[in-house]
Amino acid sequence: MDFDFSEDQEMIRSSMKSMLDKEYPPEKVREMEEDPKGYDPGLWKQMAELGWLGLSLPEEYGGAGADVLDLMIVIEEMGRKLLSGPFFSTMVLCSLPLVRFGSPEQKKEYLTSIANGEQIWTLAYSEPSATHDLSGVQLRAHLQDETYRLSGTKIFVPYAHVADYLLVVARTDEGDESGITLFIVDGKDSGLSTEIIPTAAHDKQCEVTFDEVSVPKNMVLGEVGKGQDIVKFIFQQGAALKSAEMLGGVEAMLEMTNAYAKERVQFDRPIGSFQAIQHKMADLLIEIEGLRYMVHETCWAISNDSASDFLISATKTKANEVYQRTGIECMRIHGAVGFTKELDLGLYHLRSKASEHTMGDSQFHREIIARELEQYEAPIFGLR
Amino acid sequence: MDFQFGDKEEALRKEIREFVKQELPPGWVRNALAEESRDEDWAFTLSISKKLSEKGWLTMAWPKEYGGMGASLWEHLVFREEAGYWGIPGVTMGVGGVDWVGPSLILYGSEEQKKTHLPLIASGEQDGVWCTGYSEPNAGSDFANIGTKAIRDGDGYVVNGQKIWTSAAHRSRWIWLAAVTAPQEPKKHKRISILIVDMKSPGITINPIINYAGYHFFNEVFFDDVKVPAENLVGEENRGWYQLMSSLAHERGSIAPGSCGYNKRMLDELVHYVKETGLINNPRIRHKLADRAIEIEALKVLVYQTIWKMSKGQVPFYEPARDKVFNDYIFERLSMTGMEILGLYSQMDPQSEDEKWKKLKGSFEAMYWLFPGMSIAGGTDEIQKNIIAMFGLELPKS
Repeated sequence: MDFDFSEDQEMIRSSMKSMLDKEYPPEKVREMEEDPKGYDPGLWKQMAELGWLGLSLPEEYGGAGADVLDLMIVIEEMGRKLLSGPFFSTMVLCSLPLVRFGSPEQKKEYLTSIANGEQIWTLAYSEPSATHDLSGVQLRAHLQDETYRLSGTKIFVPYAHVADYLLVVARTDEGDESGITLFIVDGKDSGLSTEIIPTAAHDKQCEVTFDEVSVPKNMVLGEVGKGQDIVKFIFQQGAALKSAEMLGGVEAMLEMTNAYAKERVQFDRPIGSFQAIQHKMADLLIEIEGLRYMVHETCWAISNDSASDFLISATKTKANEVYQRTGIECMRIHGAVGFTKELDLGLYHLRSKASEHTMGDSQFHREIIARELEQYEAPIFGLR
Repeated sequence: MDFQFGDKEEALRKEIREFVKQELPPGWVRNALAEESRDEDWAFTLSISKKLSEKGWLTMAWPKEYGGMGASLWEHLVFREEAGYWGIPGVTMGVGGVDWVGPSLILYGSEEQKKTHLPLIASGEQDGVWCTGYSEPNAGSDFANIGTKAIRDGDGYVVNGQKIWTSAAHRSRWIWLAAVTAPQEPKKHKRISILIVDMKSPGITINPIINYAGYHFFNEVFFDDVKVPAENLVGEENRGWYQLMSSLAHERGSIAPGSCGYNKRMLDELVHYVKETGLINNPRIRHKLADRAIEIEALKVLVYQTIWKMSKGQVPFYEPARDKVFNDYIFERLSMTGMEILGLYSQMDPQSEDEKWKKLKGSFEAMYWLFPGMSIAGGTDEIQKNIIAMFGLELPKS
């Protein structure tokens, strides 16, 4: 049992942190909300040059071959600074499944370009059914003359408006869990139309409409009709790493609130000296530290191929609950100023819903946990 | 980073499960705080303490020269976690015998005290059972405000005063007593000493305090000119407060692992019950159980992190407070979920012998009626949050 990071891991953290401290102050977060692209291409290029975009890709494709634990560290730091942009969708939601399930040709074709910063990717999963499970996937892919044709609508697709490729979860057959196939779709296809959804965080999530989009057979990821395993893989890695991003966010919120509680004086004393404030913050600390070690345990377990469905879903649910609670309580501790546009706190709080609904909301994950509990053979029953 | 136990810990876990199979009745559940209340439970508790002593597990965390096994913090954690899960009674030798009397004597005790008391505690015998005399009517959270006096007289002390909420006093041979030895000293922290007092001493009166749910673990203990030999002073006179603060470090890692195991067991029992009754198909119940499982996982990693910090030789200043508050939160939520699931049957007296009515051996009723008390014992949650604010958040003094 060891909760420490290695020296290498600490180095990864400090270099990501120093890059973001320099390149991504809160003004930049605000600027990106207004920016039509929603990310900084200059910074994207710089991240490619520094190797961040190839961090978890195999060395043969110009990557660094790092594991999920390393990725967790950089994503935690990104969450702390609210780095907006297609890093998560490209690196986590698309490149990890490409590495695991892609054909040798697909890997050769795409991974090097991702590592070089030449390609932005995103995952198109959610649909107007607005459920997180596979029964909600209704976008149809029909095989016609050796080519698939995709028609339907995907919603809340992050950064689809700038994506070079979309990984599209589509239905090739009836069924709830089965009949799912993943397609690699060229973002510039004329059958695609993209519209940015006016979200609270202005975080460039899009509605993408597919009108008879042609996709050749060799653009299927994995096997036709067997996409549910790939989706599960994406949800697991994605839920764990989104939780890491959220952890960075709640840590930043607590830090700024702590600093404020020490400096804001009322009744001739810093408000942080009042037990009413102290106990609220103590409650947050307990929740945040619980989340921190669950995130670390889960990402460690994924890196060691021993993560259970329970652990992943427990961590994401915890992240959802803690992120929301932290935003609300930190706002209250700040008083009226916490409610202003000038304060960075609101930037974090406004992103709570986007994170919560990425890779499964709490209801979705609680149901997974309940199923796990149902099937679990507790040690006590072995003795009865 | 590594979230696995080593082979040694896993082997120990197996061995403990073998012990449980042999020594505990089938389906045994240990209800919260039920050890000391009734005579037959207490007799069973002590019989298990004796067996744990024979295994060497009772005081495994102590150094070998003092009757321990020199076990690592991780082995000790595994032992306590399993004891909590399987409900192994008698792991503490009253209140504090194993967890702070022994370790404090090792730190501050005289050679004579160590020679007398450490083997007694490690033996698992009645004469090694302790209670702890800290709280008084006017010294609860404000512990330094104690008024029980131990005045030097010739070759000993004369103790007068009263302790209250003294858990297990009626089962204990010894009391680990905090008393004022320098009444004229204006600084409250500088006038307290720790004394070892034989509960059979003339002048000691124990009055039971039965709690509202009918359990007897609290007592009042009165001291009326009780003579205590001078050699029963532990460490330095008037340094009791400081000794307590530093011996707290030893107590810290001991309690929470047991709760981790206990909570896990309660959840497992509940899941088994809802599967049998079909309540598992109720989505609301499913999601509540999921939430309880998440909380139990969160407590586990918090407690492990505390032990990890200790294993690196660091003092966990606020982590045990953090773990206690979170555990109290779990006791509350878990017992409420359990009571909701038991429905009509949640109305049973957990101490009733009538198995016809009690579901899950009354364990959820016991937990539910007792959790408010457990959140007060060992420092209220409010005091714990003050500690978190001071050491975890470094906020200004309130």
